[in-house]
Amino acid sequence: MAGIQLERLTKVFGATRAVDGIDLTIPDGEFVVLVGPSGCGKTTTLNMIAGLEAPTAGDIWIGEARVTDWEPGERSLGMVFQSLALFPHMTVFENIAFPLRIKRVAAEEIARRVRTVSDTVHVGHLLGKRPATLSGGEAQRVALARTLVVQPTVFLMDEPLSSLDAKLRVEMRTELKRLHAALRSTFVYVTHDQAEAMTMADRIVVMHQGRIQQVGRPLEIYGDPANRFVAGFFGVPAMNFVEGELRPETNGARFVAQALGATLPGHSIVAGPASLGIRPEHVRLADGRESWPATVSLIEPLGDETLVFLDYGGPASLVAKVDAEEKLAVGDRRSFTLRLDRVLLFDGTTGGRIMG
Amino acid sequence: MRRRGRWLFPVVRHALLLAWTAVTLFPIYWMLMTSFKHAGEWVTWPPRWFPHEPTLVNYVKVLTPGTSTFELGRQTLKILKPIGDSLIVSGVGALLAVVLGSALAYSWARFGTGGRSYPYNILSIRMVPPIVIAVPFVVYFVTLRLLDTYTGLILVYVATCLPYVIWMMLAFVEEVPVELERAARLMGASRFRVLRSVVLPLTASGLVVTFLFVFILNWSELLLAMTLTNTEVSTIPIQLNKFQSANEGRDYGPQAAIGTIATLPVIVLGFVIQKHLLRGFSFGLLRK
Repeated sequence: MAGIQLERLTKVFGATRAVDGIDLTIPDGEFVVLVGPSGCGKTTTLNMIAGLEAPTAGDIWIGEARVTDWEPGERSLGMVFQSLALFPHMTVFENIAFPLRIKRVAAEEIARRVRTVSDTVHVGHLLGKRPATLSGGEAQRVALARTLVVQPTVFLMDEPLSSLDAKLRVEMRTELKRLHAALRSTFVYVTHDQAEAMTMADRIVVMHQGRIQQVGRPLEIYGDPANRFVAGFFGVPAMNFVEGELRPETNGARFVAQALGATLPGHSIVAGPASLGIRPEHVRLADGRESWPATVSLIEPLGDETLVFLDYGGPASLVAKVDAEEKLAVGDRRSFTLRLDRVLLFDGTTGGRIMG
Repeated sequence: MRRRGRWLFPVVRHALLLAWTAVTLFPIYWMLMTSFKHAGEWVTWPPRWFPHEPTLVNYVKVLTPGTSTFELGRQTLKILKPIGDSLIVSGVGALLAVVLGSALAYSWARFGTGGRSYPYNILSIRMVPPIVIAVPFVVYFVTLRLLDTYTGLILVYVATCLPYVIWMMLAFVEEVPVELERAARLMGASRFRVLRSVVLPLTASGLVVTFLFVFILNWSELLLAMTLTNTEVSTIPIQLNKFQSANEGRDYGPQAAIGTIATLPVIVLGFVIQKHLLRGFSFGLLRK
């Protein structure tokens, strides 16, 4: 069992700082998801933990040991790759047995352990097959079995589900979570899919441009984002942003933008350019103390809920998530309100959160 | 109009290709037929398309052990030793080139050894006509006492094959996903173990194809062999060439027999590796 600690970890490729001095402590047994858009440095970070890339600066600790200069094979890690990396010239049995053969485990012991682990992930009937003949889900399980067979203390996963179809991906998510609950090992999971991050993580690490933007539990990240990037990255459809200006008022502040102005009670803020963020589920089709008229320009039914695009006169339309029962047609004139307690404000220049 | 064009084009295309095939294959056909003819049929008029009494006498003549003779205006060349020499020189040369070249290709593909333009620099060796390097090689080889030795010719063949091996193996190595190697490294495999258990099995067919390809090149190489050898080492192309230096009483039958023997491995191996060659030569196109 081992936790992981990253200290000022940096990786520079030529002129780009892929990972820019990140500090992160992952306690033993935690399921951590590194998430961010492609090129944010999450995979490079994972590869450095694995030892596949040498850090330009900084240190990596696994358990009590400083492993920065260790060979990948010395770190007792298990890794599942995006491409799964099953050896195409070996049978499923040989694939799962390979790490044991490298460790010179006795033949009977290998047979026993491969049998046990392949039963755990339900690939016992596939042992004689070649990877090319497996379905996506089967290949996924085999890759998992091969990682599990050496009982690593830390599991690294680099977008392992991205090659699966949508339904299978959701199933495997649940299965991985169950696996984590059973093993209580440390999991470091890399994905660009915010839904995967939300559903699986104990803690989410949001990365952007080589830096950690925010570390927190899924609902903290969703409800209390540290900056505009995190706010916009999580949630489908994405949070609505309205660019405008903040003006202090006697007992609060007032946000003013093109065709939209809202009084935010209780806020005591410095004046200046700002953007207002509001999630679609916090935009209501209703009349209120402060409501704005809009034209329905597009309707996207999701089944349980419906997305409504509202043209209110601003530069972009505002998306609202409303009940599916709501009777709506394109061209309708409706009023909407914002749940002011859920409005988030971000600095217009830095994108940092402005706390009330 | 358009409808007619639909069948006309393939017909014309095939007719042209067939005609061209006939033109290119005719010398080979004629060589094959002559090798089975008695002396009386070699130069008859009108020409005989098939040997009337097929015979193996030409093959027996050139393949019986002994030394080549030239008497009564008749030249008899023996080719058992040249076959042996060709096998040694082409085989060892190709093998060494594949070992060295694939190692180079791997280290370039994975670690960028030698810099970005390294494979192109190596390729430039092939842009120099062999005749340009042949004479300097003679000078070197005199000093190094490598003239007319197996070692000498093998060294030259390794050098001329390397660019082909490197470029073909680059294509095959790059088809091995780097993640496979990383996975094995994470499991604790040494770099050598990764090569043995992952890279080698996955590039095995590429290695065989590359070996056969450069073997064929060496097998049919004349210029360097002729310049750098004399009496001790004599490959098949040299032996074939000796016929042309005889100025009378040409022995067309045995000549055709030697020609056939020399061509046979090229054709057979060519067919064997043809499909893979396309893959090997699509380098650059497939590179990500």
